[in-house]
Amino acid sequence: MRFLAVVAAALVLAAPAAACAHPRTSLSYLQGQVMCPTCHTTLDMSDSQAAQQIKGFIAQKVAACWTAEQIESALVANYGQQILAAPSHKGFDLLAWWLPIVGVLAGAVVLALGVWRWSRRKEPEEPDGPAGSGLDEEEERRLDDLLARFD
Amino acid sequence: MTRGLKGTAQLLALACVAGLLALLVWSVVHQEHAPGVGSAAPAFTLRKLDGPGTVSLSSYRGKPVVLNFWASWCEPCKSEAAVLERDWTSYRGRGVVFLGVDYHDLSSDARRFVSAHALTFPMLQDGSGNVTKRYGISQVPETYVLDRRGKVVAHLRGPITDPGFADQFRSAIAKAVE
Repeated sequence: MRFLAVVAAALVLAAPAAACAHPRTSLSYLQGQVMCPTCHTTLDMSDSQAAQQIKGFIAQKVAACWTAEQIESALVANYGQQILAAPSHKGFDLLAWWLPIVGVLAGAVVLALGVWRWSRRKEPEEPDGPAGSGLDEEEERRLDDLLARFD
Repeated sequence: MTRGLKGTAQLLALACVAGLLALLVWSVVHQEHAPGVGSAAPAFTLRKLDGPGTVSLSSYRGKPVVLNFWASWCEPCKSEAAVLERDWTSYRGRGVVFLGVDYHDLSSDARRFVSAHALTFPMLQDGSGNVTKRYGISQVPETYVLDRRGKVVAHLRGPITDPGFADQFRSAIAKAVE
């Protein structure tokens, strides 16, 4: 009898954990993913009434084994896409994801180009005639001929 | 760096700065300001809080409208709820429409609030706050009184139970009814 009572108690205590068929998400994780609608910060940085309300909602849904995606979808349905801290992956919001990457890559290319050109300028150039003459071959030959008349 | 490349880089930098400046100017120009007394109230269409369908402000043209912005998490909204319901009951016969706009709120909590305070005037939902932004709402509760032509007669930035606002509210309704 005692054994049955222990088993029953263990089952009751384990029921909530056993009810989630997937790893539970957490309030602390979602607080960083969701914005406070009145204070324009993430929930973890706000104690406003609106933020407290959303935290309560999240805690309730986490306890009910909702996934993070389900909770976020429910919040978006209620408040709109702007409730999420991260921009969406469509339309104009895509710029928010791609611009920083493009900017970093463009900066790296400009930097690499600049370093390459600077390193090329540092290499000594091969002389193509008498130092500082600035004359091409034909002009040098004519100059040599003229100078030879004075020898 | 060759002259050509240098020039291109300078042009690019200038274009970025000009673009950012343009963005700043655009955002300043398009900042939402509360409509002043005498100006037209911004039009909107919002979902009903307590059922399917939407409601447009334009459908009330020709009637004085009391537009009350609230949220279930707002403490002063709780104190003014009973007064609003009482005024709705008394002014309704004179053709005045009371519209509640719930904003930045969970609809389940909002419905519980309406039920708990036995509010019977139409309730709309502005979860995203886009409409509320166009009315320049910075904190709830705030109330607009609109005349039959949809022009703002009064804008009360606080609960109508506030001694400073109570008389202002009633005289605004009287003016809107004219």
